[in-house]
Formats: sequence, structure tokens, C-alpha cells
Amino acid sequence: MEILKVQNVSKVYGSKKSTKLYMALRSISFEVNEGEFIGVMGASGSGKTTLLNILGSIDKPTTGRFFMNDRDITTFSKKQLARHRMDNIGFIFQDYNLLETMTLKENIILPLALVGHKANIIEEKLRKIVNDLGITEVLEKYPYEVSGGEQQRAAACRALIANPKIILADEPTGNLDSKSGKDLLELLTYINRDYRATILMVTHDVFAASYCQKIMFIRDGEIYNELYAGENKREFFDSIIDVMSVLKGERK
Amino acid sequence: MKLTTLALNNIKRNFKRYVMYFFSLSFSVFTAYSFFALMQNEYVLMAFTYDDRYKSLLINFGIIIMVFVMFFLLSSNNSFIKARKKEISTYSLFGMTNGKIGKLLFLETMIVGITSLIIGIGVGIFFSKLMAMILLDISLASFTGNIEFTISMRAAYITAIIFLTIFCLMGLSGLRVINKFELIDLFKAHRVSEGRSKGSKIVLILSILLIGIGYYLATNSNSMIVTMSAIPILLMVISGTYLFFWGGLPKILNIIKSNKRNYYKGVTLISTSAFSHRMKSIGTVMATIAVLSAVATTAIATGYTLYSNIEKNTYDVVGYDMYFFGGHEEVLSDIRTTFKAYGSEIVNELTIQSYMSSPRVNMTIDENSIFNLGKEVYFRVYSQSMYNKLASICKCNYRPAGYIKLGEAMYIHGYRFHEIDDKVKGQQLSFTDKTLTITSVSRFKAISFGVKHTIIINDDDFDSLIDRGDIRDANEKGDTYDKVTLFNYKNSLTSRKLNKELTQILSENTKGFRTAYTNYDESLQSFGLICFIGFFMSAVFIMMTASLLYFKQVMAAEDERHQYKILRKIGMDEQVEKRVIRKRLIPVFLIPLLVGIVHSMFAMKAADTLVFSNIIPVDNSYFRVLLCSAVMYLTYAIVYSVFYFVTKDQYSRIVK
Ligand SMILES: Nc1ncnc2c1ncn2[C@@H]1O[C@H](COP(=O)(O)OP(=O)(O)O)[C@@H](O)[C@H]1O
Ligand SMILES: [Mg+2]
Repeated sequence: MEILKVQNVSKVYGSKKSTKLYMALRSISFEVNEGEFIGVMGASGSGKTTLLNILGSIDKPTTGRFFMNDRDITTFSKKQLARHRMDNIGFIFQDYNLLETMTLKENIILPLALVGHKANIIEEKLRKIVNDLGITEVLEKYPYEVSGGEQQRAAACRALIANPKIILADEPTGNLDSKSGKDLLELLTYINRDYRATILMVTHDVFAASYCQKIMFIRDGEIYNELYAGENKREFFDSIIDVMSVLKGERK
Repeated sequence: MKLTTLALNNIKRNFKRYVMYFFSLSFSVFTAYSFFALMQNEYVLMAFTYDDRYKSLLINFGIIIMVFVMFFLLSSNNSFIKARKKEISTYSLFGMTNGKIGKLLFLETMIVGITSLIIGIGVGIFFSKLMAMILLDISLASFTGNIEFTISMRAAYITAIIFLTIFCLMGLSGLRVINKFELIDLFKAHRVSEGRSKGSKIVLILSILLIGIGYYLATNSNSMIVTMSAIPILLMVISGTYLFFWGGLPKILNIIKSNKRNYYKGVTLISTSAFSHRMKSIGTVMATIAVLSAVATTAIATGYTLYSNIEKNTYDVVGYDMYFFGGHEEVLSDIRTTFKAYGSEIVNELTIQSYMSSPRVNMTIDENSIFNLGKEVYFRVYSQSMYNKLASICKCNYRPAGYIKLGEAMYIHGYRFHEIDDKVKGQQLSFTDKTLTITSVSRFKAISFGVKHTIIINDDDFDSLIDRGDIRDANEKGDTYDKVTLFNYKNSLTSRKLNKELTQILSENTKGFRTAYTNYDESLQSFGLICFIGFFMSAVFIMMTASLLYFKQVMAAEDERHQYKILRKIGMDEQVEKRVIRKRLIPVFLIPLLVGIVHSMFAMKAADTLVFSNIIPVDNSYFRVLLCSAVMYLTYAIVYSVFYFVTKDQYSRIVK
């Protein structure tokens, strides 16, 4: 079942007055089915973050529309958008974006607290998810007291706790060492499988991308190519490298 | 780029932040100039020449203000620099030495400082006439003189020197702050805690205990005890306040946090955690502000209470606009002509004969007591109907009504001890063939006309005692006691000339007199100055403490900005954001204000025991004191709310 439908979305940076307009996205269209784990790749500055921010309704497209469960998000009011983010979208960022004034636990329950759930329901959901993601021991600590991997796992818990329809991850492994990065990717795979969460992950790490079922390559604000994972992981990995080298070569 | 250009650019770029800084700097300069100008103003000097006390009072007050202003400026300068940590570390990253950065900041301080110095002094000059007028107006009963517009070069000169010195100090302390910066901090700026504090139960209990004992001692109704424990009270309450903000409030926040049903509400969760995150860095500031607001509200409330009770107090002491002993007919006609000449009208006029008596009293003498009715005591005696006439035209606040039955007497005195009531009640007054019992006791200073003991008795008893010769209108030698003549008249407290003329006539022709005006004028001079200082000091304290809070919060906003960004990404909508900001900022202003006001209420209670209960002759003088103080508390609260709204506005704009 299709969960997300993007139609001719463009994004132009720079105000109308200024002469320097920059087109970060050029009429992008694609669809995402429920339960998919999609990777978005592309060179730096190609518009990946812009796309993710628009899908997460943190930013607005200049033109074009996109639908989630057949509802046109571009017509939402500010208040509706905030509610939509809270209910349907979970974010995981490169620099974790945890609030340093709160313990990991408080950070994780924040989305539920904002919706106004009862304390005992919150506790219950929390217990299950932190158990699954293995950060029960460090829950009462503050972000700067734990490792990057633990911070990122806490961020993943926060993204998951409200059962969002789609999880948007912007280079989630970018700041992690290879071990923690691998752990997180396995975690995402697990979330994707067991929580049946749809995931859209931006990355420029080929290894990270090889965990996805499908990869969209973006170049200069346009979709350049798509790749599907086959039976053979090795083959998938190699073909990603091929596309990436073509992309890089073209830039030069 | 030249350093000056860079400094100017920085100011331009940080203009929004500098506005408030600039404003409070100018206000400090304005305050200082006004103060020094007042000290130089010849009219003020002239008005206070005959009393040296005022000058030393003013000088001491000036020193306190300047020390506080210095503290305030240094502290806000340092937090200003800290807020620009990122920018400063960047300079350092690109190879600027700390000395050079210090020079740059010093230049900025000087540019902003000198501009506000000029503006502050300018505004000071503009308002100097007004300030002098206000001071003279509230401290002289009928000040009508015209003050010329003067520019005091000396005041400007002193102000400039003091502030340039402070600016240099600011530069130095800024350099110290910069030297403490580590370059590495730039890269982990948001990662370290600014001082979360868990708080401690013991400290919380200790702080409440200290404050509680202080309050308890302050509410003691025995003025001796209050006087003796004044310093311990101050020490306990002040240390208790600091402990409360250092360890107690964090503990309370922790307790709030452990109540999950409440804490797990989004707004509470965000604002409480953000507030407790800053607790350590703002705790000392909040405690200092609470103590300062307590001092300031107490000062202003004392001043205001004294001031607003001067008129009442005058009549409680004097009772009538004028009275004199010995009712000579020629004086009366002179007085009437004088009233006519000054356009005043007589409202009440009464002449009564004085009667005295010395019945035997069998009171056990207690050597240690302040009050004893000895054997040979003379009482002034009024019959019930004489008393009613006197009381009905008396202008004082409290006029005990009395219906005195046969065989009974009401005792009137001017003391302020409640013990008298019990001692005197039930005492027997033995006359030749009659004994009266004192059944009621009242304080009513105004009708005793200088005599210590007064009794009021039933008309019939009065007549029969006069017949027996127990009550006499003349002494043993046969000289008749002086008649007392009372007047109430219009403009009694406003016309200095009328009073001068009356005083002239009365001092030449009568055996003794008092006018309300003279009493009022004297009180105004001493209380008016205290009151003015109270106002002035409070105005400065309010402005400075409130803007200090403003600074702290605006600086914090810069740090907290990225948190709001994150929260918005998670799905916090605008309404929730507004509520979070409100809940985050209100405690910062409200808690010190409340603590300050509660402290002040207890201070006023102590002041009531020591001072006001003697001045305000109503049964529950503390209630009156509180009413007067409430006016000032309200003013304080209003100023704080204005600052809160300005802060909230600025904070919201920064985190947007
Ligand atoms: N707020 C902005 N204003 C102007 N240009 C922007 C803004 N954000 C991104 N850009 C530009 O849009 C392009 C795409 O940015 P981004 O989506 O962040 O790329 P990436 O694929 O590296 O995540 C870049 O060239 C960037 O300079
Ligand atoms: Mg990016």
C-alpha cells in the first residue's frame, strides 16, 4: 500500500527580491509504499536534506504537492502541520538533536508528553521500546553523559515511541564510529521489520545504503536513478558503488 | 580591519542586545547624576541646612546605590560577554590574542558607555529641576518656591569620573572572563551542562527552618526582643534565602519531577527541565534579587507608610488644628482677625475649663514596671458630656466612645503598652466619701493636653464630686486652672504664613499652645526625606534587578534557541511553544518577587512593632501598615510584569 506520494515537488531558495535564486529540488516525483526501507543518496549539496525536510513538513515546497495516506499535506495549516509531525513522523538526525536539558528518558517520552498521554501509558510504551533498543541502563543520564551511539539510539526511541507512519533519518550514522553505525543500521532494519515502520534514510555512506531495500539517487535536485536490492547483498553493494562513482565523475 | 571599525560593526550587529544594555546603563548614569545634582542643588542644601543628619543620610544612601550599580553593571557585562562566547572563540580561533579581544570588547564597552554617559547626564539635566521639586515638595509642607533650572557641572564631572572608572573595571573583568574561555568549549558549547543541581532535602529543610525562625522572631510583639534579635534575624533570613535558591528550589523542582502524572505533560516537562538546567547559574542571581527586592520593598513601604500617615499621626498627637491654654478674650479676637486676613474659616471652636483631682489609688507598685500609678497622682477629669464634646470635634482617627455609668470611670492615657489595660482596670479611685471603679481603659493622647493621667466620669458623679470639693478648678493656692481653647479651621496644613502669624500671637499671649501645622511640618521634613530616599532607592533597585533578570534570560535564549528548533521538528506547535516560554520565564520573575515581598511583609511586622505601633494609634496598626505597603508591593509587581512581558517578547523573538 502506498503511504507517501510526491508530485512535482520543487524547492527554490532565496527570496523573490533577491536575484540569487537557487533551485534545490526540481520537480521531484516518487512514491513510497508502506513498510519500505528506502535510502536517498547523492553528493553533498544535491538536495537530500531539503527533500527530507519537506517530507517531514519542517519546510514547505515552493511548488508541487505531496500526500500521506491520500491527504494533501501541502494544504495543511501550521497547527495541523505540527499535529501531523507529532502523529505521523519520527525524525532521526545526524547530530541526534536531543535536548541537553533533559535526561534520555525525558527526551524519549517528549513526543507522547506533548500529545498529552497519561503517565502510566507513557511509562509502558517507554519500557518496551528502550528494552528493544537496549538503553535501559542509561535512561536517567543526560545526553552529554553517554556515548554517541547511545544518544542516537535514544533519538531512535524518540522517533519511534509515538508509532509514526514514517521515519525520516538524515545521515543517522554520519557521526558514529563504524561499530555504532552498524548497530544503528541493524536497529533500523529491526524497526523496519518488527515495528513495520516505513523508513526514509538519507546517507552518503555506501555501507549504510546497502541495508536499504531501495535506493534513490539524487543529482542537482532531480532523481537520477533508482536501485533495488536483490537477493545478493554483495551485488547490490557493488552496483551502488558504480552509480556513486558515475555521479562523482560527472561532478568533476 | 581597524579595531574601532570592528567594534562599531559589532555594536551594529548586536544592536538588539545592546538596546537594553544601553538603556540600563543610561538609567544608572541618570540616577547618579540626579543624585549628585540634588546634593549640589543650593535650594536643597538650604532647605536642609539646619540639620546635618540629612546630609550624612543622603551620602550614605548614595554610596549604597553606587555600590549596587557597580555590582549590577559588572555582572550584566560579564553575562553579556559570556553570551558572545561563540563569537569571541571564533576570533581566538583565527589567531586573535586574548589581549586584542579584550581591547576590542573594551572599545565596545567604551563606545556604548560614553554614549549612554552623555545621554544619561543629558536626561539627568533635563529632569534635575523636577527631581529637586519632588524632593522639596514631599519634604516641606508648603513648598511653593520656584527652583531655577540649573546645570550642575560638578555633578556631571563626578558622574563621568565614577562611570569611566566602572567602565575600566568592566573592561578588566571582561578580560578575566575571556581568559577563562577554552577554545575547545567552542566545539562542545552545547554539550556541557551549565550546572544542573539536584538540590538537597537537608538544605531545603534548613533554608525553610532558617527563614521560619527569622520570621518567628520578627513577629514577636515585644519590641525589646525584636530589637535585640534584629541582626540574627537578618543573617538567618538572608542565608536561608541563598540556601533556598542554591539547594532548596532545585530539590523542589526534583520533587515536581518525581510526580509523573504532572511532570509528563509536555509543557511542564520542557519548561521545568529547562529551568532546572539553569538553576545553578541563575540561583545566586535570583537569591540576590530576592534579598534586594526585600530591602527595596521594605524601604519603599516604610517610607510610604510613614509618609501617608504623617497627617493622621499629626492629629493623633495634636488632635485639633490648634489649641492653647488660657482663653484670653483679646487673643481670640486677634486670632479671628488673622483667620479672616488669610482667608481661612473656623470650623470648630470650643473653650473648656480644666478640672483636676487627686483621689487615693491603692495600686501595688511594681518597681520594675515602666508604668505605675503612684499615691499622689493628679488626674485631669472630664465629665461624660465634656468628653463627648471634645471627642466629637477631635480630628484624630480613633476616638473611644464611652458611656460611663454611675460609680464607674474610664481611664485615658497616651502610652502604647497594652499591659496598662490590665493593670489599671478594676482599680479603685477613693474620694472623700465616694469610690469609683475604673472599668475601661483607652489610649487617647489628643485630649490629655499634656497631662499624664485622665479620667472620664458620669455627669452626676462629676457634679457631686465638685460639690464635695474633690474635683477642683483651681490649685491649693487658689489659682484657677487654665482654660483650654481649641480650634479647627480650614487650610490648617497648607498655609505656612497663617501658621506663622498664629504662632506669633499665641506665643506672646498664652501660657502654652500647639498647632497641627508645626507638628506636621516637622514630621514631613524628616519623614519626607526618608520617604524620598526610599522611593529613589527602590526605583533604582527595581529597574536594576528587573533588567538583570532580563539580561540573564535573553542570554539564556541564545543558548536555548536550538532546543526550540528541535522541539518544533518533533511537532511542538506555536501555542504549546508560547506556553512553554511562559512557564519557563514566569518563575524567574515571580519567585524572587514573591520571596522578596514575603520577606518584606515580615520586616514590616517588625517595623510595626518597633516604630509604627507608636505612630499609628489604631488597635491593629500592622493591618494599616500592610495596606500602605500593598500599594508599593503592587507597584513593584507591575514593574516586574512589564519587564516580564518585554523579556518574553524578546525571548520569543530570539528562539524563533
Ligand atoms: N536555507 C537555505 N537557503 C539557501 N540555500 C539553501 C538552504 N538550504 C540549503 N540550501 C542549498 O540547497 C542545496 C541543497 O542543500 P541540502 O538539501 O542541504 O543538500 P544535501 O544533499 O547535502 O543535504 C545546497 O546547494 C544548499 O546550498
Ligand atoms: Mg544534508
